[in-house]
Amino acid sequence: MPGTRPTRKATVPKAAPAPAKKTAPAPTKKAVVAPKSKKRTVEEAQDDSDDEFGEVAIDMASDDDDEDMDGDDESDDADDFPEEGEEGQDMSAADLDEDEDEDSEGSYMDGDSIADSQEELDDEDAEEEDESDFDDLVEDDIDPNFGHNLNEPLAPESDYNPIVREYPEIDPVYDSDSSTEENDNTVGNIPMHWYDDYPHIGYDIDGKKIMRPATGDELDKFLSTMDDPDSWLSAHNYKDGQDVKLSAEELEIIRRLEGNRIPDADYNPYEDQVEFFSSKTEIMPLSAAPEPKRRFIPSKHEAKRIMKIVRAIREGRIVPRKSGYVPPKPKYYNLWNDSEDKPREEHVMHITAPKMKLPTHDESYNPPAEYLPTEEEIKEWNEMDKEDRPKNYLPQKYNALRNVPGYGQFIQERFERCLDLYLAPRVRKNRLNIDPESLIPKLPSPRDLQPFPTRLAIEFLGHEGRVRSISVDPTGLWMASGSDDKTVRIWEISTGRCMATYHLDELVTSVVWGPSKEVAVLAVACGYKVGLILPEKLFSPELTLHSEEYLKAGFANVATGEPNPKAQWKQPTPAEFEKGIRVWVHLQKPVKQVTWHRKGDYFSTVAPDANNSAVLIHQLTKHQTQQPFKKNKGAVQRVMFHPTKPMFFVATQRYVRQYNLQRQELVKTMQTGVKWISSLDVHPAGDNLIIGSYDKRLCWFDLDLSSKPYKTLRYHQQAIRSVAYHKRYPLFASCADDGNVQIFHGMVYNDLLQNPLIVPVKILKNVHQRVDALGALCVEWHPTQPWLISSGADHTIKLFS
Amino acid sequence: MDAIADGPQVQVKFITQQRQFAIPETAIQTPARLRRYGLSQIINLVLQNEGEKQRPFDFLIEGEFLRTSLAEYLEEKNMSTENVLTVEYVESMLPPTPLSSYEHDDWVSAVQAHRLGGFLTGSYDNHVRLWNKQAECTQILTGHNGAVKAVQWLTSDGDNGTLLSGALDRSILAWEYSHADNSHSVLYECRGHTGGVESISLNATGDKFASGSTDATIKIWTTIIPTVSDHIEDVTETRKKRKTVKEDRVLKAPISSLNAHTGPVSAVTFSPTSADTLYSGGWDHSVRVWDIENSVNITTKNCEKVVHALDYSQHSGLLASGHADPVIRLWDPRSEDSSVVKQTLSGHQNWVTSVSWSPSSSYMLASGSYDGLIKVWDIRAKGALYTLSHGKATKKVFSIDWSNDILLSGGEDNQMKIHKVQDMTERAEA
Repeated sequence: MPGTRPTRKATVPKAAPAPAKKTAPAPTKKAVVAPKSKKRTVEEAQDDSDDEFGEVAIDMASDDDDEDMDGDDESDDADDFPEEGEEGQDMSAADLDEDEDEDSEGSYMDGDSIADSQEELDDEDAEEEDESDFDDLVEDDIDPNFGHNLNEPLAPESDYNPIVREYPEIDPVYDSDSSTEENDNTVGNIPMHWYDDYPHIGYDIDGKKIMRPATGDELDKFLSTMDDPDSWLSAHNYKDGQDVKLSAEELEIIRRLEGNRIPDADYNPYEDQVEFFSSKTEIMPLSAAPEPKRRFIPSKHEAKRIMKIVRAIREGRIVPRKSGYVPPKPKYYNLWNDSEDKPREEHVMHITAPKMKLPTHDESYNPPAEYLPTEEEIKEWNEMDKEDRPKNYLPQKYNALRNVPGYGQFIQERFERCLDLYLAPRVRKNRLNIDPESLIPKLPSPRDLQPFPTRLAIEFLGHEGRVRSISVDPTGLWMASGSDDKTVRIWEISTGRCMATYHLDELVTSVVWGPSKEVAVLAVACGYKVGLILPEKLFSPELTLHSEEYLKAGFANVATGEPNPKAQWKQPTPAEFEKGIRVWVHLQKPVKQVTWHRKGDYFSTVAPDANNSAVLIHQLTKHQTQQPFKKNKGAVQRVMFHPTKPMFFVATQRYVRQYNLQRQELVKTMQTGVKWISSLDVHPAGDNLIIGSYDKRLCWFDLDLSSKPYKTLRYHQQAIRSVAYHKRYPLFASCADDGNVQIFHGMVYNDLLQNPLIVPVKILKNVHQRVDALGALCVEWHPTQPWLISSGADHTIKLFS
Repeated sequence: MDAIADGPQVQVKFITQQRQFAIPETAIQTPARLRRYGLSQIINLVLQNEGEKQRPFDFLIEGEFLRTSLAEYLEEKNMSTENVLTVEYVESMLPPTPLSSYEHDDWVSAVQAHRLGGFLTGSYDNHVRLWNKQAECTQILTGHNGAVKAVQWLTSDGDNGTLLSGALDRSILAWEYSHADNSHSVLYECRGHTGGVESISLNATGDKFASGSTDATIKIWTTIIPTVSDHIEDVTETRKKRKTVKEDRVLKAPISSLNAHTGPVSAVTFSPTSADTLYSGGWDHSVRVWDIENSVNITTKNCEKVVHALDYSQHSGLLASGHADPVIRLWDPRSEDSSVVKQTLSGHQNWVTSVSWSPSSSYMLASGSYDGLIKVWDIRAKGALYTLSHGKATKKVFSIDWSNDILLSGGEDNQMKIHKVQDMTERAEA
């Protein structure tokens, strides 16, 4: 504060005359307004400078970190001193109020009191800055200028000293201050012409009318003007109806206003600028404070922030960029690149439009003569339909390029091009890039699966009807065949020689050799009966005799029981006995199939028409017949004994059922998915079976797996008639009405985990000619050799090796 | 000679093992385009054989018959024409010529010719027939109850002789015949087989014979004529005898039985050199070598196919076998290896049911097949030398026999055919 005192002292004299000024009559409205506005300007200017300073202060503060050089404005104060802010604000507000009051009431205060009060204020507001004091001071010292200096002679402009001015001493005479005796008009600031009709012009402070002063006439005016040399310097005060003499200062203000100059002569708008910051390098720093220590020690705050990042990196919250990271190239569209047609990176499915044909010679504006059309050609071209024209233009010749007219077809051509592209959509054809070989299941080559029959070796000729059934005897030397010519023939396999022929009285539907090597017996299904034939001569006398006794043994037993109506065991006639027939079993319905149990004692017959007694099991040694099923589900097609276990398979039209004969229960039902089963064979190991069906399918069942077919093979073109497993080799075969015989490699592994391997190895085509829509009727494998025997409707039997 | 002298030439040195046709062993400039016929002309020129005396020759280069021109051969073998080519030549075998056919009543399943001119056939009409060269049936030996499947000469001096026949009735009958009084009789009946007799073979010394049967056994019998029946213990047999077997037959039992085969034995043949060595083949895919003295199976060779026929050549020491496939396999019985086939001859279309080596040549061999063809092979040549038709193509050939210059064949067409084959004795002797 003491530092600012000199300035104050210098301004005090300015303020001091303010009360003295009160004597001056109230300034004119204009005069009053002008100083106000001036004050406002000054104030603002002061504020501006303060602001500047504040800014500087702030800047310095930012430089000097914590050094408190806050600015003067209240908000800053409030920020810096929150506890006293309110008070400070209030105080400053009070200051302002006071200042306002001072404007009007300043006349009651002397300069000292102002200074004192100002000092008091300063004291009260201990933290108040010099600037605010300065503010007040300025305000103080402008206001008095008006009232006080009105009477003073106008100082010459040259005398103008902006800093210190000598004011004339106030002379304390009676006239000097009229405020005590003057009765002021109290009507306020109203248009005075309201009082034009009244004798008074207003009221004094006591409420008494102020009477309109008497005014002279024009002559008086003139005289007064003539008398008073200063009369032209006076102005009429309507309020009190008197002429007021203008002071020199007021005149000066008027003059300055008229000159469009700043009314206050003291104000210098072009004060020298104090360059706080400039290009000049100061020798001495602005602040002499030593460099703070923190400039030289690492910042703890920074360390904290760095550690935060380091921690984040360690914890993996911040992942550093991969090493191979290449910052993406800025992509710019090369507008002027004409090498590529593609405007941008294409979509995957984008198909570039086919390019247009390049123009040829005849499209040139100056084509060689040979390209120019002749008259006829032009005529022809014109006559042609637009669609038929080979080209949609005629070559034309111009001497110079500048002679070439505008191309009229351009829009049309572009349109057609767009139409072409639009109406002929380009489609990406996805070519399947699959090697067809890879889709074929990996099967071993048939070459590696030899031996299997490949070629016809022997034909067995002699039958005169369809050969319905064939069977090879267990030794593999003889084959029996039953035919529609009502004969059973026995053949020598190795030569194809017919060794014996048995003439029967019905069509032979089934012939089966007894499976035992000890007993040579051939079961023949023929009409309503089943015959058991002992072929003589073919076998050694020992075997023949044994078989004879075996077949005869049953007759002794049968005599005891009453005849079974379903199956009657009968002796053959002597003539038949001579032929070799040893036993007849008469059934109620035609027998379609005979099959042996593996031991050669039991055999089963199928007579599909016999309803519940369709399936019968006969015991040869006791000449007994059993009916295993009380009721048959569906029409029985085939039956088969299990090769090792006491199981029995019954194939109806759609299902194959597996029964346990010992426990007399159904074990399993195979759902074949075919419409009509024609044939059935069980794998010699007993775990698999195949069926053939009239709807061309061959199904392989793995009995351990499921009741659905393991594989369904549909290779035949016609109904399958017969299927057969080889007893030794991993082979099976099927024959069908199309006359073909198909041979498959069907390996069944001992390993339970491995599924059977089925490989088609050979198709023997047109083995049998089709006769009456029937082709191959029966296939049978040789028991020891990989030879296949098939019989057909063309009366032949063929052996393939 | 001048006419054929153009074109590239090869220096050829002709050699031969047939001395009667030997020419000086000097290299001769020969046109490379010459084939067998041209080379044969050259030899005949050098030998100065003309007209009727001209003989056809076959040419062998490194043991293989020349079937192309010299140039083609050299090109194929990638050989230079600069070097001297050594070519062996042998007299060509003339094509067999059909002589006559002998009509039978039924299929002819077995044929055998005798050196002295008689032919023996067995037929499916259960008869054994004797024929002379005039295609006359001199004797019909009746006695079998089944198709005769094997016949074998024992002794013969032209008019009188003995022979063996085996049949599907499981018996082997030994016959004695005499053309002088046109009589024949059963010497003895060999009992023991329980299956049909498929094959009979007499050993080199003539004191034993072997029979192979479908009962999977080989039985060895002596040729000594017994005066009383051997005791054959079989109850059933005695009961059957009343009906089927004539009482006057002397029965004979085998001296030994070889049981190693697991399927029907279809072929047995003795080694012509060793009286105790027997070769057999059967449906069990094996070719076995036996020592009958000790009844030991010496070696077993396996192939994948049923053996239908066997023949052993004393000249080449090779065993030829016919199978249930169209291939003839040649075996070296002395090798220990069990499944090494020395050579295969393919050309037939169906099962080969009979093979017969040439009695004189170590390279020549004949085979009969179910495709109705008889093929004559030289094992040095790639294909068959000659293919003879027995009868109709579909008629099977069951049996062939090559004896001296005669090739017999019997088949399904009820015929026995005789082909005249060039006697190769000279060549062998050479």
